[in-house]
Amino acid sequence: MGNAMSQSVAPECTELKNKYDSCFNSWYTDKFLQGKSLQNECEGLWDDYRECLEAYLIKKGIKPMVDETAKDAPFEEKGELQSKEKK
Amino acid sequence: MKLFSSQHDFQYPWASVTAANWVKYPNEVSTHVVAVDVLRREVDHTTGMLITERLITCEQPIPQWLRCFVGGQNRSYVREVSTVDPSARTLTMRSCNLTMSNLLKVYETCVYKPSESDPDNQTTFYQSAEITAYATFKRICDKIEDWSVERFDQNAKKGKIGFESVLKLLDEKLDIGNKFIDEVSGKTVGVIHDVSDKTVDVINEVSDKTVDVLHEVSDKTVVAISDVSVKTVGVLGHLTQGLVSISSGIFGRG
Repeated sequence: MGNAMSQSVAPECTELKNKYDSCFNSWYTDKFLQGKSLQNECEGLWDDYRECLEAYLIKKGIKPMVDETAKDAPFEEKGELQSKEKK
Repeated sequence: MKLFSSQHDFQYPWASVTAANWVKYPNEVSTHVVAVDVLRREVDHTTGMLITERLITCEQPIPQWLRCFVGGQNRSYVREVSTVDPSARTLTMRSCNLTMSNLLKVYETCVYKPSESDPDNQTTFYQSAEITAYATFKRICDKIEDWSVERFDQNAKKGKIGFESVLKLLDEKLDIGNKFIDEVSGKTVGVIHDVSDKTVDVINEVSDKTVDVLHEVSDKTVVAISDVSVKTVGVLGHLTQGLVSISSGIFGRG
């Protein structure tokens, strides 16, 4: 822990991502794991980062790939592989 | 198809391991992971679970011959959905490659939970992967097979042609030797020894050359066969490894 922050796939979003990550990491350790909070407290920072990232993913054509994979393993199902009888 | 599964104990408490999971990259070992992004993150208020969807970007050189199949991209992407259940103390991560998913898909599942022997201080890591290859992948294998057979055929033909030319050369030399014998047979006994020596020389020379040539041809054939076989194995190995590492990208999270 405590090493350099990871980059965003979109260089222009790395700064926003690092701000959000710092907020999230503190929340995770100090509140979530302690059972003190179920509320994401980094909402504002998240929105900024998310907006930046989304634009990049669309621009670079990465979003369709994510959506395609998400069909087989939806977020709502915690990424569990749904149908094994594909193709 | 189940590809593999493994298990490992970390000498750290579960909470620390899960916190470290969010800041795992960059690290000096997994240098191929160049970026990690959060796509979506929600807390399920009924279960208290934290669910996170991440995009992991890897950069690894792809072998030249594979580029024609994947379009020369060195970047590969993996989508991961993780679930932290703080009451059950489990972290489950499920991931799948986005890149080259038309060739094959690698579904990896990792679970971190407190170890049974020392739940407060140790964390057990379970990892398993499932791989599904599609028809396109099989076509690549067929291509490699065709190429190998073709290559073998070419080398075998070269071997035969080479041997033919050497045999022809030797045959001509033998003819000269025979003529020489015919020529000297009618002459004086005094020169017979001389002639005989010369004939023996020629025969020896021819015999040596034949052995040499046979060795050479045999060596070449062996080299050609092993060359083709090594290349085939190498290519298949590369292909499998390449595809697995590229598509999974972050394989071996331990």
